[in-house]
Amino acid sequence: MEWGILMIEIKDVTKKFGKKKVLNGVSFTAEKGKITCLIGINGVGKTTIMKAIMALSPIASGEILIDGKKIHKESYEKITFIPDTITMLPQMQIRDAFVFMADFYDSWNQARASELLRFFKLQETDRISDLSKGNTAKVNLILGLAMDVDYVLMDEPFSGIDIFSREQIADVFTSHLIEDRGVIITTHEINDIEHLIDKVVLLDNGVVLKEFDTEEIREKEGKSVVDVMREVYEA
Amino acid sequence: MKQYLKLVNFEFNRFFKLYLVLIGITILTQIIGVITTARMHVNRANEWINEEHMTKGDIQLAPISFYDFSQSAWFMGPIALGAATLLIYVFFIWYRDWLGKNTFSYRLFMLPIARIQVYLAKAATILLYVLGLIALQLLLMPVENKILKWIVPSEFRTDLSINEITRIPNVALLIPNTLGEFVLYYAAGVGVVSIVFTAILFERSYRVKGIMYGILFCAASQLVFFAPLLVNTFVLKNYFYPTELFFMELATGLVVAACSIWTANFLIKNKVRV
Amino acid sequence: MKVKFNNRDPVYVQVIRHFKEQIASGYFEPGQEIPSRRELANQLKINPNTAQRAYKEMEEQGLILTEGNLPSRISKDEQVLEMVREELILEAVDTFVHSIRSINIPIHEALHLAKDKYEEGN
Repeated sequence: MEWGILMIEIKDVTKKFGKKKVLNGVSFTAEKGKITCLIGINGVGKTTIMKAIMALSPIASGEILIDGKKIHKESYEKITFIPDTITMLPQMQIRDAFVFMADFYDSWNQARASELLRFFKLQETDRISDLSKGNTAKVNLILGLAMDVDYVLMDEPFSGIDIFSREQIADVFTSHLIEDRGVIITTHEINDIEHLIDKVVLLDNGVVLKEFDTEEIREKEGKSVVDVMREVYEA
Repeated sequence: MKQYLKLVNFEFNRFFKLYLVLIGITILTQIIGVITTARMHVNRANEWINEEHMTKGDIQLAPISFYDFSQSAWFMGPIALGAATLLIYVFFIWYRDWLGKNTFSYRLFMLPIARIQVYLAKAATILLYVLGLIALQLLLMPVENKILKWIVPSEFRTDLSINEITRIPNVALLIPNTLGEFVLYYAAGVGVVSIVFTAILFERSYRVKGIMYGILFCAASQLVFFAPLLVNTFVLKNYFYPTELFFMELATGLVVAACSIWTANFLIKNKVRV
Repeated sequence: MKVKFNNRDPVYVQVIRHFKEQIASGYFEPGQEIPSRRELANQLKINPNTAQRAYKEMEEQGLILTEGNLPSRISKDEQVLEMVREELILEAVDTFVHSIRSINIPIHEALHLAKDKYEEGN
C-alpha cells in the first residue's frame, strides 16, 4: 500500500476532435473512497474524460494522474473502466469472459464475480450475444466490479435500462462492492442516485462549471444537487 | 512472456473455426482435384485404347506428372483462397475489435501488459496461420503424389520426387528450397505485415488523416527498403556484387522493421483511439 | 427499515435523526445491538461512506458505542437517551409553535385542537 495522494487528478486537460474543442481545460479530482459523479447533457465530453483517464484516447494538453502517477501498464490492475457497451466478445459465454479476466488480471476476484452473478440472477452459461440490454449491462458491470481495484469508472450505468435493472444496479452503490473505492460515474440524469453520491462535477461545453461535495452543499446551503444544477445551468 | 503467449493463444483461437474451414476446403479440393485429374488422364488413355484400338505402347499421350496437377485450379485455387483470406485477415484482425457494436478494443488496451504485445500477438497469429497452411501443403503434396501413382498406370505418367516437386516455380514460391531463402521470404513477409499493421494503427489513431499517414508510411518504408537496389541500378550502374547487395538489403530490411515496430509502439501507447 | 430521504438535508444528518426517532420511540432499546455500517447502507440504500459518517457522528454524540471489533450498540446512558427525547420534543414543539404563530392562531385554541386530533389518532 502506497501512501500519499490517493486520488485521480485531472489537470487542465484539453482535447480536440478536428477543429471542435471537446475538452477545454478540464480540472477536477476524484478521491479514493468517494463516489464522484460527472454530470452534463450528452456530448459535453463525459465519456471522453473517462477514456482519457484510461489512456484510451489521447489528450492535446494537460495531465492526468492516478495516485500521483501517470497511467502505466500496471495501473490497469488498480483502475478499471466500465463503458456503456460490453467489452467482451459477443460469442463468449459469461464463464469464458470470466476465464479471460482471470487469465490476464491478478486483481480479478472470481469469488466476487460469482457472488455478483447470483445477485443479478444470471447463468454462467449464458451467451453474451443472447442477453437483454439490461443483462448485458449487468455482465459489463460484473467485469469491472469483480476486480480488486482502487478505482472504478462507470459510463452511464443507468441509461437505456429497464427499471428493475436500474434498481439492482443502484443497490450496488450501497454495498461493500463500492466501499473504500474511488468511483467516477457519468450520468445525464441524477434522480436515481442523488443521495448516493459524495461529489458532483458539473460539465458543459468542455469546461467544469462547478465541483462540489453533496453533503457539504446540503449542510451549508440547504441545497439539493438538482437545486445547484438549476442555478448553474440557468445562469 | 506468459501473458504474451496467452494473448497469442487467444488471438489464434478467435479465427480458428474459419481457419479449420479453410483447411477443410484445401484438403477436399486438392484431393478431389488430384483424383479427377488422374481419372481424366486415364480415361483419355482408355478411350484411345478402346476406340482407336491402339496398344499401350502406341499411344502418343503426353505422360502426366505432378507438374500438370500443380498448374491446375484444383491445386492453385485453395492456395489462392488461403492467401486471400489471410490477406484480408491482416486487416480484419484489427478492425474486428472496433467495428459494429464491438468494443473489444477497450478490453485489449486495458490489459495490464505493454500494448505493443497486442500488436506482436496479432502479428504472431498471422505468421502462425501462414506457416500452418504451408505445413498443410507440405503434408498434402506427398499424399497427392501417391494418389496420382495409384490411379495412373506407370506408362502414362512421369514420377516426380518431392525434391523435384518443390522446384516447380509456383510451389517454390510457397516452399523455398534453401533455408536461407525460406528465412528471407518469411522475414520479408513478417516485415510487410508489420508495416501494414503500423499503417492500420496510423488510421486507428488519426482516422481519416491517418489513412494518408499510413499510405505515406508504407511508401517511405518501401523506398528505404529498396534504396540499395535503386541506387545500384540507376545511380551506380550495377557497381555492387550480388552478395554485397544482399547484405545491404538485409540491413535496410532490419532498419525498416525496427522503425515500423518503434512507430507502432509509439502509436499504440500514446495515440490510438478506441 | 425504510427511510424516505429528502434531497436538501445532509443524508448523514437524516440518518442520525432516524436513529434518534427510533430511540425516542423505544424501537431501539438501551444497549441494543444495531446493524453494521455495511448492513445499514444496504438497508437504507445509502452510500457506505455516508453510513460510516453517520455512525462516527453518533459515536461522538454518545448515542452509540463501539468496543473493539464488537457490533455497535445503543448507549445505556440514561442521560443521553433523555436528551434525545427532549431534543425531538422541543423540535416538534418549535415547528408547531412556528406554524401556529405564522397564521395568528391563539395558543389555547391550537392546543385544544391539537389535543383532540392527537386522541383521535390513537
